[in-house]
Amino acid sequence: MRQKPLIVILALVVLVAAAIGFAVGRKSSPEPRVVSSPPTASPAIASTAEPVHAGDQIDAIRRGAPVNQEIAAPLMARVENADIKRVRAYPMQPPTIPHSIDNYQIDKNSNRCLLCHARANADKFQAPPVSVTHYMDRNDQFLATISPRRYFCNQCHVVQTDAKPLVANNFKDIDSILSEEHDKKAN
Amino acid sequence: MWPRIKRWLAALWRTIRRPSIHYSLGFLTLGGFIAGVLFWGAFNTGLELTNTEAFCTGCHEMRDNVFQELKTTIHYTNRSGVRATCPDCHVPHQWTDKIARKMQASKEVYGKIFGTVDTREKFLDHRLELAQHEWARLKANDSLECRNCHNYTSMDLTRQSTRAAEIHKRWLGSGEKTCIDCHKGIAHHLPDMTGVPQG
Amino acid sequence: MTLSMTRREFIRNTAVAVAANVAGLALPASATNVLLEGDMVQLKWSKAPCRFCGTGCGVNVAVKDGRVVATHGDQLSEVNRGINCVKGYFLSKIMYGADRLTAPMLRKKNGVYAKDGTFTEVSWDEAFDVMAQQFKRVLKEKGPEAVGMFGSGQWTVWEGYAANKLLKGGFRSNTLDPNARHCMASAVMGFMRTFGMDEPMGCYDDIEATDAFVLWGSNMAEMHPILWTRVTDRRLSNPNVKVAVLSTFEHRSFELADIPIVFTPQTDLVILNYIANHIIKTNRVNKDFVDKHTTFKRGVTDIGYGLRPDNPLEENAKNSKDPTGSEPIDFAQFAAFVAPYTLEKTVEMTGVDKGWLEQLAELYANPNIKVVSFWTMGFNQHTRGTWANNMVYNIHLLTGKISTPGNSPFSLTGQPSACGTAREVGVFSHRLPADMVVTNPEHRKHAEEIWKIPHGIIQPKPGYHAVQQNRMLRDGKLNAYWVLCNNNVQAGANLMQETYAGYRDPRNFVVVSDAYPTVTAQSADLILPAAMWVEKEGAYGNAERRTQFWHQLVKAPGQARSDLWQLMEFSKRFTTDECWPAEILAANPQFKGKTLFDVLFKNGNVDKFPTTEMEAGYDNDEAAAFGFYVQKGLFEEYATFGRGHGHDLAPFDDYHKAHGLRWPVVDGKETRWRYREGSDPYVKAGTEFQFYGNPDGRAVIWALPYEAPPEIPDKEYDLWLATGRVLEHWHSGSMTMRVPELYRAFPEAVVFMNPDDARSRGLKRGDEVKVISRRGEMRSRVETRGRNKPPQGLVFVPWFDAGQLINKVTLDATDPISKQTDYKKCAVKVVAV
Repeated sequence: MRQKPLIVILALVVLVAAAIGFAVGRKSSPEPRVVSSPPTASPAIASTAEPVHAGDQIDAIRRGAPVNQEIAAPLMARVENADIKRVRAYPMQPPTIPHSIDNYQIDKNSNRCLLCHARANADKFQAPPVSVTHYMDRNDQFLATISPRRYFCNQCHVVQTDAKPLVANNFKDIDSILSEEHDKKAN
Repeated sequence: MWPRIKRWLAALWRTIRRPSIHYSLGFLTLGGFIAGVLFWGAFNTGLELTNTEAFCTGCHEMRDNVFQELKTTIHYTNRSGVRATCPDCHVPHQWTDKIARKMQASKEVYGKIFGTVDTREKFLDHRLELAQHEWARLKANDSLECRNCHNYTSMDLTRQSTRAAEIHKRWLGSGEKTCIDCHKGIAHHLPDMTGVPQG
Repeated sequence: MTLSMTRREFIRNTAVAVAANVAGLALPASATNVLLEGDMVQLKWSKAPCRFCGTGCGVNVAVKDGRVVATHGDQLSEVNRGINCVKGYFLSKIMYGADRLTAPMLRKKNGVYAKDGTFTEVSWDEAFDVMAQQFKRVLKEKGPEAVGMFGSGQWTVWEGYAANKLLKGGFRSNTLDPNARHCMASAVMGFMRTFGMDEPMGCYDDIEATDAFVLWGSNMAEMHPILWTRVTDRRLSNPNVKVAVLSTFEHRSFELADIPIVFTPQTDLVILNYIANHIIKTNRVNKDFVDKHTTFKRGVTDIGYGLRPDNPLEENAKNSKDPTGSEPIDFAQFAAFVAPYTLEKTVEMTGVDKGWLEQLAELYANPNIKVVSFWTMGFNQHTRGTWANNMVYNIHLLTGKISTPGNSPFSLTGQPSACGTAREVGVFSHRLPADMVVTNPEHRKHAEEIWKIPHGIIQPKPGYHAVQQNRMLRDGKLNAYWVLCNNNVQAGANLMQETYAGYRDPRNFVVVSDAYPTVTAQSADLILPAAMWVEKEGAYGNAERRTQFWHQLVKAPGQARSDLWQLMEFSKRFTTDECWPAEILAANPQFKGKTLFDVLFKNGNVDKFPTTEMEAGYDNDEAAAFGFYVQKGLFEEYATFGRGHGHDLAPFDDYHKAHGLRWPVVDGKETRWRYREGSDPYVKAGTEFQFYGNPDGRAVIWALPYEAPPEIPDKEYDLWLATGRVLEHWHSGSMTMRVPELYRAFPEAVVFMNPDDARSRGLKRGDEVKVISRRGEMRSRVETRGRNKPPQGLVFVPWFDAGQLINKVTLDATDPISKQTDYKKCAVKVVAV
């Protein structure tokens, strides 16, 4: 029973690998190909007249379950709390929060985030102070304190759980593109 | 009216002053002791009864406001299931402090009877004042009720997140700050904190 | 390594590479080099509106080597002034999910189409051949009623317009409805019944001008985050400003609430009438305004719940056949009508503290307080949604708090172009552009004239609306069905009993156009790969009547094509002889033998502008394909519907320069407040206010009661279920679930539940549960913490997660007037798995 998390993780890894493999396979295949495997009759389905084909489950977010069936819900993901800064996709991206914020009160009465991230407290807590843009009002004027329009931090800044993405993302950041250009030029 | 009471009191005074004629000294001392024990036991049991979460949340003022808020926090449910009930944090464990706090509580009984905070709206209006009492008390006793469970010497900082460990070491370890300085609103929502120092 | 690399570069790069290898990362070679070579570091920035909600934030999009590499909030956009919400900040990544659809896929068996076949990649030619064959079969066998389309409030203006023409003017089917039916239909009917004209009279500028905000069933903090930043800005910088938040459960918007109100589901109707009663009883009616600018009506009651007609709830309802009936009344009758809605009765029915209700009512009643009411799905997804809309206008009209800065009943929209496309273009089964309807012969005639098609082509009977489409698919009456730019298998209520069977019924041929393989695509017979957002030139219209344009900035991957191209290209495969009645063709022989493309899109209007009129430096794949500036032609033809009728749009080219303009745009000037003299050019001098959507220029105050919802928790199904969204995901999550940061922020749906409800069922946070209704069940996990705090007796489940289809559980009851589904109320039980 103590192996249970391991088995779940293993199963997830296999699933994600299969999904990635599937996506890569689709990209590289030069010829029209059959996306689904041969029909496998499923006895569990009573509500449709036709068999559900295993390979028809093309929505990776559906996690492999046919639309008319229900599968076990994944374990609740845990919020990463390692305090390690993550790379930003581009300079204007709001950094994601590298720690858990369970029960941090942010409302008109109090803002827990600013306890550490306010300019004045940055030395006490060694937390990165909020950026200069957060002092600007709608008309780009600098205010004495944080702009009220930026008050609710979690409208832009979110935590990250340990959930493994179900679909890869092929976004390329500017450095990758510059380096490709650089290589192209160099050759 | 008054002369009659005066006469009665004088008679009582005389009886108390006079040595007993009917009962032996032994009976009186032992009986007094047993009566004392019984009284003390009853008093303490009664006192302890008022020291339970069930008692505190018997009033809707507590149940619908602060107890609801507690339920989603780490002091209500957590990894190991060790949880804090209302008196753990709000009633001193030292006897003298406890009695002092209980005497203060008469004001809360008054508030209950006269409906000072019988709606959410009124509760929110009084929330800052109520919270300030608790903060002041915890600040004065160096967060004693926190430390009954969270003892700095017993903290394994390597088991904390990096930032928590650093901050605890620097501020709590050095004694410069006490728990309540940073951890206001850890079990209940905070009132309007304008002007209230935090951190 | 290249020869041109210097030794120093080599050493430095090697060191970085070693470090990167140690960390298990692959760093691009230039990542650490300071590259300052002029041209290389230049990014091409262009403007676009955000792809997500109805707020309509402006974003700047950076393109390098044909790829979007960065996005940020547009400082010049009045809507958002430089900021985005977390979704908006990650727009750069929405197009790059690894499973983008890049080729058409058809269910095939033994090399030919088969309903029970497997998805096989095909060419566009083959895809359209099979599709045209199926549509023609259905047209011939069943007639135009059996052909239908489900469109989108995420379509560009011209996509919606082209679809409207193709269906109503080409195939002669009015069965064209947008997913906005699930979203805005009650708001539309509310506007039409009160003002005779769709869309808000005010604008976002009201936020900075008001003294009080009232959120009626709107969680703006998560669903309209950037408008919420403006509300927050106003509230926190002006302590006298008050915020009231009403909902059936506590959510993030309560963080700013001065007046927090959690009420028993459906009793918002009681609160609305109580406020009207309070205004009257305390003599705060603005008599002058009411006398000059309003009339009173009483609507019919007991109108049913939009279920199938054989449902006992419909059979027993007195007015389920005609829920729109009304009779004129006067002020005294209205006052008597709302008189029973006393404070005591309201407290009893809503479960809300007396003090909060009084404070709320005073925000409206006090003549010195300017008030903005915001609402979204709490009102619109409501079996009495049209009523709720009418009733909030009542309290603004009684006090005259309307059409002036800061006084604004404001219906927020969910989708980026629910207003611009679905509503203004009239992509509904009963509508035509500019608030016209198919049931009005004059309107049909006018549309036919603008479209240059013969009279009699547009059918007079409304087609199937969204919910009816699913029912008719299941009943085998709607057989050729094209779903574009939405994910209705994840959205439509009562999936297992109504929707899914219809999609998989062998009598039906279902086509789905999408950028990603959604559960709807998965349920289709043919999947067409779609271009998205800045892969095409587009226009959206946001909630404040602001029309915003963008250019095509990058190419769509593989063979993916825009919906516009798909609609127009498909029309080439049909001739008028196949679609139009012989007698109309006999009377108009010039149309004989022409393709639908010829009559609809090469009609002298749409093909009027040559490709040379396009702005240099931008691709336009549709213009390249058809040989003329398609978007401009479609827009200019469409704009003729509204110009001079209160819906005036500016010339096409102006929008590529401006950061959006709010219609009516008259003489180059946008309109911020409609219906008021001085700010709306359509209001005649000396009238002060004119609600010119109604012939008498007056708005209608409606006497409407509280009526119970169709399904109320009982002993077995003992909890209310409300569904909705979360900040990090947009709608069904087909885009945002493919952005790693957004996915990891909120990876799967959960059942938000009160800790006491969980405890009484023996459930703990994280426990796997089944949410079961009379219609179906889904599996999820219990969440007793976090952003939503339901009261006892109610659970909230978000619907973004395709892995957990909560629409198997929801009830397909609708507002009988607007036909919009109530996704906020049905009865469920939650049991451990």
